[in-house]
Amino acid sequence: MKYILFLVLILFFIFPPSVRARVYLDITSPTFVQIPIVLPKWKSVGKTSPALSKKVYEILANDLTISGFFKVIDYQHLPTHLQGKEGIPNTPSTEEWMPAGGEILLAGETFLEPTGLNLSLKFHLFDLVEQKHLVGKQYEGQLQNLRNMVHRMADEVILQLTGERGVHNTKIAYAALQGEGKEIFIADFDGANVKQMTQNHSINLSPVWSPDNKRIAFTSYLRRNPDLYLIDIDGKNFQRFASFPGLNASPSWSPDGKKIALMMGMEGKTEIFLLDANGDNPKKLTKSHGNEASPRWSPDGQWIAFVSDRSGSPQIYIMANDGSNIRRLTYEGNYNTNPSWSPKGDLIAFCGRTEGRFEIFTISPEGSGLQRLTSKSGNNESPCWSPDGRYIAFSSTRTGSSKTFIMNANGFNQRTLVPSSKGGESSPAWSRRFE
Amino acid sequence: MVKKSISIIILILCLGLIISGCPKKTVVKEEPSVKKEEPARLQAEREAERAAKEAREKELAKIKEEEAKKAREKEFEKSLVAKKTPGIEGEVLESKMLKDIHFDFDKYDIRPGDAEILKENAALLMKYPNVKIQIEGHCDERGTVEYNLALGERRANSTKRYLVSLGISGDRISTISYGEERPLDPGHNEEAWTKNRRAHTVILSK
Repeated sequence: MKYILFLVLILFFIFPPSVRARVYLDITSPTFVQIPIVLPKWKSVGKTSPALSKKVYEILANDLTISGFFKVIDYQHLPTHLQGKEGIPNTPSTEEWMPAGGEILLAGETFLEPTGLNLSLKFHLFDLVEQKHLVGKQYEGQLQNLRNMVHRMADEVILQLTGERGVHNTKIAYAALQGEGKEIFIADFDGANVKQMTQNHSINLSPVWSPDNKRIAFTSYLRRNPDLYLIDIDGKNFQRFASFPGLNASPSWSPDGKKIALMMGMEGKTEIFLLDANGDNPKKLTKSHGNEASPRWSPDGQWIAFVSDRSGSPQIYIMANDGSNIRRLTYEGNYNTNPSWSPKGDLIAFCGRTEGRFEIFTISPEGSGLQRLTSKSGNNESPCWSPDGRYIAFSSTRTGSSKTFIMNANGFNQRTLVPSSKGGESSPAWSRRFE
Repeated sequence: MVKKSISIIILILCLGLIISGCPKKTVVKEEPSVKKEEPARLQAEREAERAAKEAREKELAKIKEEEAKKAREKEFEKSLVAKKTPGIEGEVLESKMLKDIHFDFDKYDIRPGDAEILKENAALLMKYPNVKIQIEGHCDERGTVEYNLALGERRANSTKRYLVSLGISGDRISTISYGEERPLDPGHNEEAWTKNRRAHTVILSK
C-alpha cells in the first residue's frame, strides 16, 4: 500500500495532472473556427472608477480579437437583460447565458487601491457548454503597468484555451519614412506605444532584436556608408558596430546571442559573413558568383537560410552555420527572398514573386508543403515570425504606402499593426516575450 | 554554251585592263629619276619650310585645344552643384556632365547604350585626374529592401568596373548602394521604376 502511494506520488511529479481539461482550439490545424467568447461588463470594485474598468475591458477585448483565435461577444451586443450584468458570476448557468451565443465566458473585475497607485485585476473563465469553471487568476501591479497587466491576462486566457501562451507582451520593430529619412520605430503587438528609436534623419534600415530583447541592431547611412549600429531599447548606448567598406546590412543574431550574421560587400558583390557579438572577427561564409543576402538563423543555431542569385535569379538557400552543406530550398518562381525561420523550426516564411506581385509563402526546411499566405492584395514582403510561431508580421502595400501587417500563421486575420500609420514602413522584426 | 561565251568575254575585258594600265605604270616609275635630278639645296629648303609650317600648325592647335579645355573646364566647373543630405555625413558635388545610366529589372549588366554614356563619363574623368567619384547603385521599389541593397551594390560595382576597363584608376572610384531607399521618381509605375533603376555619379573631391 505504501509503495503504491509512493508510486502515485512519483507519477504525479513526472506526469503532473493537466491543468487544462482540453484544448479548445487547435491552432496548428490549417483552418480553425474561432471560439465565441462572451465578455460581460467588467466590474469596478469599491470606489474604482468605471472608466478604468472600461479601459481594462477594451484592451482585453481587443487583445482577444487581434489574437485571431476568438469571436469576441462584447457586452453591448448581448441580449438586453445580460448587458447590465457585470463582474464575476458564481457559476453561470447555461440557460442564463445560452442566448449570448458563446461557448466560453470571461468575466472580471478591477480594483484600484485608494492611493491610486496599485491595481488589482481578477478574471474567471467558464465553459458555458460543459458548464464548468476553468480558471481564475488575480494580477497585482502598478497602475502605470495597466496595459502590460491586461496583456498578461489575455496571454493566460489564450494559454487556457489554446494550450500555449499568447504574445501580447511582445514588440515589433520596423523602419518607417519620416521626413526625408527613414527611422527605426517599435510598437506593441496591439499597435499601441509606438516609439521612435532613432532621430538622425538618415536612412535607417532592417532592425533586429537581440535575443535578450535589450538591444536593436540596424543599418544606418549616417557616415555615408551603410554601417551596422546598435541601440538599447531605452534609446541609450547608440553605437556603430560594424563599418567595413561597402554594405554592412541585414543583420541576424544567432539564437545564443554570440554571433551576428550579415551581408557585406566584397569584391563588387555581396557575401554572407559572421561577426562576433562585439563586431570583430569577420568570417566569410559564402563564395559564389552571385549576390548573397538576408541571412536568418534556424532556431537551433545550426543553420542559416539566405538569399542567393547564383542560379541567375534570387532564391532561398540553406547552409550550415560554418558555410558548409549549401542546398537550394526554393524552385518555384524567379524571385524568392527574405527568408525567416519559424521559432519551432518547422517552417521558413519568405517573399516570392508570383503573377507580377510579391506574396508571403511558407515552406518546410526540406522544401515541401509550399503554402501561399497572401493573395492579390498589394505587394507583401519581409515576413517575420512571432516568438510562439503563431503569427507572421510583414509589410504590405495593399492600402497604398507600405505598412506593417500581422496575420495568423495560416494567413487568416490580416490586420495593420498601427492603424493610424501614414505608411512608408518596411522590415518588421519581432521581439521575444517581455516578462 | 552561254557560260563559256561569258567567261571568254570576261577574259578579254581583263586582258584589256592590264594592257591599258601598263603605260601609267611606266610614268610613275619615271618620277624618282626626276627627283634625283633636283639639287639637294632646294630639297633642304622645302623640308625646312614644311617643318616650320607644321610647327605653326601645332602651335595653333595647341592654343585652340587649351582654349577649348579652358572652356570645358569652365563648363565643368559651372556644372558642379554642391549637395548635402540630411543625416548623411559630408557634402558631395554633382555635375550634369556625369550622366546616369539605367538598368533592367533585377539586372546589373551595362546595356550597350549606357556603355556609350559611360565612355563619355570616362573621357571627362580622364581630363580631370584629381576628381574622385562615388557611384551610387539604386533600385526601383519592387522587390525586397535587403535584396535591393545587394542589387544596388552590384549595379554600382559593374559601373565602376566598366570605368576601370576604360582606363580610369580604381582608387578614384568608390561605390555605395542605396537599394530602393532614394528613388528619383516617387511614382509607383513603370515610368518611375525605369528612372529609379540607375547608377548615379557624385564627386567626392576634385
